[in-house]
Amino acid sequence: MNDATLIRKNLFRKRLRAILLVVSILIAFLIYGVLAAMQNAFSMGTVGAAQERLVTVNRINFTVALPYAYWDRVRQVDGVDIVAPASWFGGYFQEPQNFVQSFAVDPESYIAAYPELVFEADERANFLEGRTCAAVGRALANQYEWTVGERIPLMSNIWQRQDGTQAWELDICAIFDDADGTYPTNYLMLHYEYFNEGLSFGRDSFHWMTVVTEDASRNDQVSQAIDALFANSPAETSTTTEAAFNEAFMEQFGNIGLILTWVIGAAFATILMIVGTTMVMAVNERTREIAVLKTLGFTAPRIFRMVLGEALLLSFIGGLIGLGLAAGAATLASGAMAGVLPPFGLSLTNTLTAVAFMLALGLLTGVLPAWKAMQVRIADALGKI
Amino acid sequence: MFKQTTAVTLLNLRSIPQRWGMSLATVLSIALVVGVLLGFMAMASGFRATLDGAGSDDVVIMLRGGAMTEMNSTVSRDEVRLLEAAPGIAASAGGDPLISSELYVVADGLRRASQTRANIALRGISPSGPQLRAQFALVDGRMFEPGAGELVVGQSVQREFDGFGLGETVRLGNNNWTVVGVFSTGGSVFDSEVWTDLGVVQNLYQRGSGVQTVRARLTSPEAITPLRDYVANEPRLNLEVLSERDYFARSAGGTTNLIMVLGWPLAIAMAIGALAGAWNAMYASVDARTRELATLRAIGFGGFPAFIAALAESFVLALVGGLAGVAATWLLFDGITASTLGSGFTQIVFSFAVTPDAALQGVVLAVIVGLLGGFVPALRAARIPLLAVHAS
Repeated sequence: MNDATLIRKNLFRKRLRAILLVVSILIAFLIYGVLAAMQNAFSMGTVGAAQERLVTVNRINFTVALPYAYWDRVRQVDGVDIVAPASWFGGYFQEPQNFVQSFAVDPESYIAAYPELVFEADERANFLEGRTCAAVGRALANQYEWTVGERIPLMSNIWQRQDGTQAWELDICAIFDDADGTYPTNYLMLHYEYFNEGLSFGRDSFHWMTVVTEDASRNDQVSQAIDALFANSPAETSTTTEAAFNEAFMEQFGNIGLILTWVIGAAFATILMIVGTTMVMAVNERTREIAVLKTLGFTAPRIFRMVLGEALLLSFIGGLIGLGLAAGAATLASGAMAGVLPPFGLSLTNTLTAVAFMLALGLLTGVLPAWKAMQVRIADALGKI
Repeated sequence: MFKQTTAVTLLNLRSIPQRWGMSLATVLSIALVVGVLLGFMAMASGFRATLDGAGSDDVVIMLRGGAMTEMNSTVSRDEVRLLEAAPGIAASAGGDPLISSELYVVADGLRRASQTRANIALRGISPSGPQLRAQFALVDGRMFEPGAGELVVGQSVQREFDGFGLGETVRLGNNNWTVVGVFSTGGSVFDSEVWTDLGVVQNLYQRGSGVQTVRARLTSPEAITPLRDYVANEPRLNLEVLSERDYFARSAGGTTNLIMVLGWPLAIAMAIGALAGAWNAMYASVDARTRELATLRAIGFGGFPAFIAALAESFVLALVGGLAGVAATWLLFDGITASTLGSGFTQIVFSFAVTPDAALQGVVLAVIVGLLGGFVPALRAARIPLLAVHAS
């Protein structure tokens, strides 16, 4: 019988108690895993934002349009590589509740500005060619089970056509993926030209431009040059990096990160107390046994390691099961919220953080009982019969 | 039997301090569970209260058919003229219909707490606009003059955003405005808005004579039916007529559901964790008293009192935990304000509200955790085999 066996036997000597502890640890890691995965979804736009991409919007607010002529003028700014204009479409499919994130874009420049979007070569050519074509992100296509070649009427809750209807007939010409999973694919793009010519109001304007600079080090200079170009005009602009823009947008929903931190903190505080007190108690019960072990020649450090090992084993059993369940639950939740949030899952960072938490939890709950066990004096323990 | 039960129960409860470590852990873990649940519920009910407070039954809001929110709606000047003559609309003291054409644009404000820019609603209203909001009161200053670049700001805006003090000049969009008054609508969603004259907004934002929505006061809540019929039968009108209450209920739904959908599963998951904790604590408590309980049995006490006593201990710990959770949440969260993006793409400022109803649900959850957690250990307490214990 080696130490590992002894640790295992000790942990499960009261099986029900061990299982209960595993359950409470498991729950804490489950909560952590699912929430961390969701937070990834919220911060996706910030992480995926490329360094040399800027966003130019109307200075009043990003819901206020800019004149069409701005596109050409920004293209001539020194240091600018690509300018991709886009408009909110406010789309929904069949019922107003089925919100479809959709933008009217200039396909050529948009695809050039977002090289991380991966297309099949022929689908990409079709999308660029066809005036009524739409390119749909993989996540969105899966949600509505749309396939290439289908024709869908996409309604807008913002715009109206000249004939009084609100539906644009779109052919799904391409389904795109994202190269490395850091940029959401839960949206749809349609041709700006097709969108614009149908409009009954608000023609020849768009809501934002993605500006790709020649080099990230020129970002500041370029954004100042763009904003200076339209200073004191009826539509002044505000140009920021894409990361800053996305962050500011998410910020508007409130401090989601803070709320999640509070909840995760509460969950861990709970198990820390439960597991900590139980471990202390478990070792107290065993005072006499420990004295016997010492009599048999087990050294104090060895006993310290064994008790600490027991706490760590417990923490890792519960933690790993919880994390596994969280990965499954996150996939399910991601499917259920496909319309609201981009697809999400546990990242490598989350997994490593969780392992660090397991280690910390095991150490925190194990050190005190291990210390007490080490301090057990044979004469006292065996003498108090 | 009753006497026995009372005696053992008291014995149990009085000896809790001897096991203070586990007991305290149980109490605190249950308190945290209740705290998390109540935090979410307070957020949801605070948000709902803000929107509910805004909706009244005898005010209708008319939007372009198919536009889900004000933001996406457009109503032409001609349509407004037709509506002014519509049936069911109440008249003011001067005999004019109580109707307000409104145009709502988004402007940037600087959030006080985070110093980040966030959307706020700038609403252009007709002179009768304020009369269509229940509980409208000018708290400070005066109303804006028609045609002037003057603003009255809601109390929540003034609290959450920088630069809206009375008499201050604010830059919204490309224009400078002077704040001439502060209004309150009793904490409803309108308190998160900034109001000015309709004509000024139309002018500065190049909206021509069009507006987005038309609000009107009905002669009675039932008068919505003739008004709806009128709108439906008039081919020149393509509008949806909603009572303000329905309109806000529709826009509140999504956010409150999202909060609750997140809050309850979380609280239940945490409750299961705490359940394991309570169960453990009770086992420890029963274990520690094995000898004592066996002795009681030996001198003639029944198993049932031991069962009830253990259950009572668990119940008391859970109840204390639940109440502590409610108290802590109430002290920490009740009344704090937060703001989030509403359906109109602008910030809605709301205060967390720990309602008695939510507090009750929290305590009930705590007690359920306590009773479930105490049940099996209590059974064990009732069944301690006398001989086995005393033989050891």
